[in-house]
Amino acid sequence: MRFRKKISLFAALAFAPAWAAAQEDADLAALVKPQSEASAGIGTWSKDRPRLGTYDGQPTRGAYGLLDAFINRRDEATGTWTTLEARNLGLETRELRADWGRQGNMSAFFEYGRTPRDEPYTVLTAVQGIGTATQRVPATQPVTLGEVRLGTVRDAVALGFSKIIGGGYDFRLSFKNEDKTGDRLWGRGGAAEFAAEPIDSNIKQLEAVLAYTSKVFQVQGGYYGSYYSNSIKLVDTNTTALNNPFFLSQPLDNQAHQFFVNGGYSLSPATRATFKVAYTRATQDEPIPVGPGVPVFAGAPTHLDGQIDNTLLQAGITSRVSNAFSWLASLRYYDSDEKTPQARIVQTAATCPTCVDNTPLKLTTTSGKVEGTYRLQQGLALTGGLDLVKQERRVPFGNLDPTATFDAQRYVPWRSEVDETTLRLELRRSLSETLNGRVLVAHSKRDGSEFTAGNEPQVNMINPIYLADRDRNRVKLMLDWTPIQPLTLTFNLEQANDDYGTSSARPYGLKDGAAGMVSIDASYALSDNWALNAWFTRDTTEATQLGQRNASSGAAEAVKDAKLEDNGTSFGAAVRGTLVPKLKVGAEFLYSKNVNRYPETLTLTGAGTAYPSAPPVFAVGPLKDITNTLTRLKLNATYALRKNADVRVDYMHERWQTDDWSWLFADGTPFTYGATTDGTQLVQPSSQSADFIGVRFIYKFQ
Amino acid sequence: MKALFAFTFAFLISAGAAAQDKDAPKDRVLTGDAKCTRCHDENDTYPVLAIGATKHGTRADGRTPTCTSCHGASDAHADKTGKGERPKPDISFSRASKTPMAARSDACLACHQSSSRMDWQMSAHHNQDVACSSCHVVHIARDPVRDKLAQSDTCFSCHKEQRAQVNRPVHHPVIEGKMTCSSCHNVHGGNPKQLVKDTVNETCFTCHAEKRGPFVHSHPPVQEDCAICHQPHGTTVASLLKQRPPFLCQECHSHTSHPSQAGAIPSGRSTSTSFLGSVGRGCMSCHTNIHGSNSLQNSATSGRFRR
Repeated sequence: MRFRKKISLFAALAFAPAWAAAQEDADLAALVKPQSEASAGIGTWSKDRPRLGTYDGQPTRGAYGLLDAFINRRDEATGTWTTLEARNLGLETRELRADWGRQGNMSAFFEYGRTPRDEPYTVLTAVQGIGTATQRVPATQPVTLGEVRLGTVRDAVALGFSKIIGGGYDFRLSFKNEDKTGDRLWGRGGAAEFAAEPIDSNIKQLEAVLAYTSKVFQVQGGYYGSYYSNSIKLVDTNTTALNNPFFLSQPLDNQAHQFFVNGGYSLSPATRATFKVAYTRATQDEPIPVGPGVPVFAGAPTHLDGQIDNTLLQAGITSRVSNAFSWLASLRYYDSDEKTPQARIVQTAATCPTCVDNTPLKLTTTSGKVEGTYRLQQGLALTGGLDLVKQERRVPFGNLDPTATFDAQRYVPWRSEVDETTLRLELRRSLSETLNGRVLVAHSKRDGSEFTAGNEPQVNMINPIYLADRDRNRVKLMLDWTPIQPLTLTFNLEQANDDYGTSSARPYGLKDGAAGMVSIDASYALSDNWALNAWFTRDTTEATQLGQRNASSGAAEAVKDAKLEDNGTSFGAAVRGTLVPKLKVGAEFLYSKNVNRYPETLTLTGAGTAYPSAPPVFAVGPLKDITNTLTRLKLNATYALRKNADVRVDYMHERWQTDDWSWLFADGTPFTYGATTDGTQLVQPSSQSADFIGVRFIYKFQ
Repeated sequence: MKALFAFTFAFLISAGAAAQDKDAPKDRVLTGDAKCTRCHDENDTYPVLAIGATKHGTRADGRTPTCTSCHGASDAHADKTGKGERPKPDISFSRASKTPMAARSDACLACHQSSSRMDWQMSAHHNQDVACSSCHVVHIARDPVRDKLAQSDTCFSCHKEQRAQVNRPVHHPVIEGKMTCSSCHNVHGGNPKQLVKDTVNETCFTCHAEKRGPFVHSHPPVQEDCAICHQPHGTTVASLLKQRPPFLCQECHSHTSHPSQAGAIPSGRSTSTSFLGSVGRGCMSCHTNIHGSNSLQNSATSGRFRR
């Protein structure tokens, strides 16, 4: 017996290193082998959550299946990966992706995904034919309203293949097919009445790329095609009395074909040049549908023969001249040239100016950038840059009245050239081992050519926002501080001020604007097992907008001065940690509040009331503020049942509040379409609060 | 005596085996990693061995790197003996690293310069001293920035304004995990706004191709840039509009009659356009095909996107 013990002891000592090594090898093998896991469970929402459930496939109360998987295998001998990832299989947002690839040789994938969008408003309506191309609005009142939920669904399938051919060449091919169906908010157009746009369309995208890669030269060229088709070309809307028809056009099938080549060449380890050339032709030449009985100008086209040619030429070079100095320069030319033949669409009298032609646009944008960075001693870097953007646009003039100095077809004053120059200076500095800072100041100046006048004098009194002269000054400040090793703080401050060019001849439009943001982030690693982070952001956008209100419905002519504001306050915090070795927990909190303000003063310059009045209806202004508040708390706990199996419990509380009056009358009752027709209303609870609890079993394997 | 002999014999075998291991450290995960893994393992501050479960750890692919491919030969670090602080590896990627950002990215670009990363050196990220390792974590099996649900957290660590915007009531489904920042942005690219396509509109058309036209009646700002009217990251106004109608439309339009109306909402039902510019869909209640219309109706108002 004693001898047997000695033998055992001997064996234990003799082979202990081997056993230890074997165990270590086993641990290592488990560590370096791809992991897989699958989970299944159930969760339930306590109440409907139409706003916050817009996109997550869980807009209504009730139970939802929680089913996810990530299966990841690698054949060690061949380096072949096989991956299957499934997400949200129990939800409307389900996704599935399968990848197969022999690393360094070829790969292929298949992907399916569904993206729902559930309209957050409930539609109460008696409009008939929603979901079809024939819709009828009640011609008389009162009507019994029924509840309709609108929404769209995108179902996308994608396939891809790639192959390394050898000799530095590789080939990639991808195809995506996406169907979009459903209905979304719309209008009857000809009258302010309700309609729901029926959607049944498809987008296909195909890309094929051949690439060459060497140590110093990379280039790829290929084809990208995008093809849109729409099953519904025209929507027939009318009243139920069939006495007020409007045929609403729909987007017609179109397609775009792009050929491109782009590449980069490393002239030296410190200098690299890049380029891109792309040419795209987009066309739309479907038969233009016309509703029965709709008058059409005799000379109007039956097909648009629409064509837009886009040309991109882009080149850049960058160099690190020395450890202290680097620079880059780039030039970009993008020309979007609509070559659709100009045609007369509308002519209701023998002579214009009430004619309407189509307006093919040619827009050429040339931009360039020069930037240099000088790295001084002590972690100081100074960057200076000059950005130039030059836009040239052209639309063929329509029936320009030879006796007038304006274009009768133009509803907004026009500017063929807009140029913007930006000068910027940035200083980055390591203030200490634990403190880094960055300051950016930039000044932009935008101006352009003389405006071409539009079809009436008042039209020309505005500076359109995207064409107007503008001076913009920006400041950015960032500090990144690690006062003690586990604690990191970042501080961001941004401010931009815009000053739009106005004149006595053109006084209206945006006068000035400002956008600011201050943000603080903190992360703290309490220990190997616990980590905290929190952030706060305050952002503001302000704009002063001037305009002229014409006398209408008893209201006097007036000058409008609106001070528009969008103020956001957001706060987030999260903690995650390990309570005991088998129990991991986490918590997240989010608070987001947005206040929009629309104060507008009216300086009456004529006789009449401040706001329109047509008794018994009158308009009430200025508009009230709108506040949206979101609060969300998430808690989770994961308990390890065994090494390869967990149970996870999630709890979420969310609350969203709004006083948005978009679909309300001035007294707070639901806005109702039509005066003697329609009757549709859109409603949403002003406060939406719901709780979620879910539990799932997680199985891990290799 | 026999027991003593047995102990001695076992000790010698054990010690011999240990000595053999010590003399010839073996590669553990990557070819040639013994130089590093003789000291570094999964218990380090920076765990290293899990890289074996990634594409970088696929040894069957002859292109996969070893530690020194990315971190440099680092002889001074590896061969340090005696007292004093051990020199850092030639190239390191930690937050406190002294390795210049460009050099950190160069380590990745030695293999990954192709495809969507050709223009990296021209990109705003590169020129703002962002390195590949600022966003990517390569030593773990699943890099968070390549995960649809987790990616935005990485982006928001710098892009605070967008973090606030995506939590507004109207947003693209980023926080729901149905889109990612990289659905629209090629963060390695060199074009303006670092978009996946050449312009804002071409990027939007990948999902919203119905807006591409050409239309019979075109709306010029739609033709030029979707972002003139839309804020894609999130707003408080339906359809991701930057501003509420009528103010949005009045940034360009200064017509007589009802388009000039002040912001106000009606007290009751009306069909007068002078009352309806702020309520419901605002101006778009009637100008419903605002992105472009294909109506051929011979009406003077046909060019106004109402049909």
